[in-house]
Amino acid sequence: MLLDLKMPLVMPDMPGARIEAIYATVGQAVAIGGKLCDISVDLAGAFAQNCPPISYYRLVSRERAWLRRAMVVGGDLLAPAGILAWFSTEADEPLEGPAARPMRVTTAGILWHPAMWSATSSA
Amino acid sequence: MVRRSGMHWLREDGALCRPGEVVAYCDLSVEPARFPGLAAQPFAGERTLQVALAPRVAGRLRIDPSSSAGGLLDTLGVYGWSAGDVIATLEASPADLAEAGLEAETFRLLMLAGRRMTWIVDVAAGLLPGWNSRARAWWADGDEPGPTLLCLGVCDASGIIRGDLSGFVEMFEATPFPAQMAHVNEHPLVPCAPYLLEQFLRTPAQYEAIAADITRALGQGAAVPAADDLVFAAALLTHLGQSPLRDSYEALTPTGLCRRGPAEAVLLSLAAESRSLLRHKTLGYSLLIYSHDRLAAGAAMRRWLESAFEPVRRSLRDIRDDYARLFDTIGAATGTRFLVLNEMSSSGREDISSYAPFDAPLGDVLANVAAKDANLMLHDLAETRDFHIVDVDAAAAELGGGAHVPDGIHQSAMLQARLRGDILDILARL
Repeated sequence: MLLDLKMPLVMPDMPGARIEAIYATVGQAVAIGGKLCDISVDLAGAFAQNCPPISYYRLVSRERAWLRRAMVVGGDLLAPAGILAWFSTEADEPLEGPAARPMRVTTAGILWHPAMWSATSSA
Repeated sequence: MVRRSGMHWLREDGALCRPGEVVAYCDLSVEPARFPGLAAQPFAGERTLQVALAPRVAGRLRIDPSSSAGGLLDTLGVYGWSAGDVIATLEASPADLAEAGLEAETFRLLMLAGRRMTWIVDVAAGLLPGWNSRARAWWADGDEPGPTLLCLGVCDASGIIRGDLSGFVEMFEATPFPAQMAHVNEHPLVPCAPYLLEQFLRTPAQYEAIAADITRALGQGAAVPAADDLVFAAALLTHLGQSPLRDSYEALTPTGLCRRGPAEAVLLSLAAESRSLLRHKTLGYSLLIYSHDRLAAGAAMRRWLESAFEPVRRSLRDIRDDYARLFDTIGAATGTRFLVLNEMSSSGREDISSYAPFDAPLGDVLANVAAKDANLMLHDLAETRDFHIVDVDAAAAELGGGAHVPDGIHQSAMLQARLRGDILDILARL
């Protein structure tokens, strides 16, 4: 069964989110509780402010699945409901047709950490 | 001698005004009375001086058209100040006037003063315009302003104190006693406890060594420093060379000039106590600079920050000890009391059903657990130190975090008003 992982609407007014870190590896299984990725939400969007309303979140898998295709890399900006990745419940099932359902994930507010994309980027 | 500009009206003619609502302001200049240019200039370093006006009772505002000529005459001090000038009338109920002990309406005065980072930032419009390293306001109703509250917090504190117009007007309207509010700009240096204590204890020789190091850094790169480098370096030097905790305050009142000592109370933000600081590798001083401010520096300053400093991790115990040292040292030297805004520690944005996936200690990973740990640390410290906790966590949870503090720190006007009231209750009891 194919599963899609979409950018969650963490807050009603969020314009999108940036990929800050990716933990899952294409072709590898993700366990229940496995870290998928970290994202940052800047409510001010692309408009630069001198104290931006940014918060950080981690997406964690609530089911065992195989990451088949990642659609983003660190630093990418994605709108809510944009596809982050495709998963499957079996390791080798064909990547054909639409997703049967969304990947089940937990969204947790996290602290910024130095392994994030924003720690090394000058953007 | 006091001179003033024409009036800037914040409410229109015919508007219904609340008691204490700031309706107008003008720019001021103060010169030594009899020997202009010979005696010491009042408000040295504070080249922005304004007065805002608020009615004492509710009523309908009737503006005298001659009060404002518009253009630069509403910015420059071209008129002599006279307490008897009629700039407007207020149609108020006789009962309200009688209850306030007034025969006719006279305005309450809110004095505003700004210490500019640089005079050449040419912003003439608005309350406390320009880039101020310190801004303040005092209620000039009586002979002398009341207690001073100095805000050395980040945006969760400065928003409460400065308000929507950045002119302290909400605080003025909400305060039932004479007071003075001061705010020190938190950009580019975040006012965390170790930085504030080092600022307080820094000797002139230590400052000279810091200034020399920054000057060398500007000249070391292959490229000529950019304007952003120079502006950033100037802001650093301005902050590192001052200690607002030592500041005294000159005040203009209806009866003349007076001077008050260091602030009776200081407002801090727990949110400013990051788990990581920068420490200078050879000079040993601490800095905390948010990433958005670091990116505002030029390449030369960013390179210097990366090479001359090392990151230092802080545990909660370190933060508690830094607070204790700050409270003890400043309290003993000046008698200043501290208020600390705690952190919002819950969110409807997450859906954690199990903590098993997260590495221990959870406070190192999860933002809301970290905030709860930090809030508890404050309560632990309060068992041995006499300071006040302003409970943002409880107020935000009561009003609703999603609507009133959506990113966990930037507050709505309603939440700010609630916290303003909590702070004033504490200030009244000091």
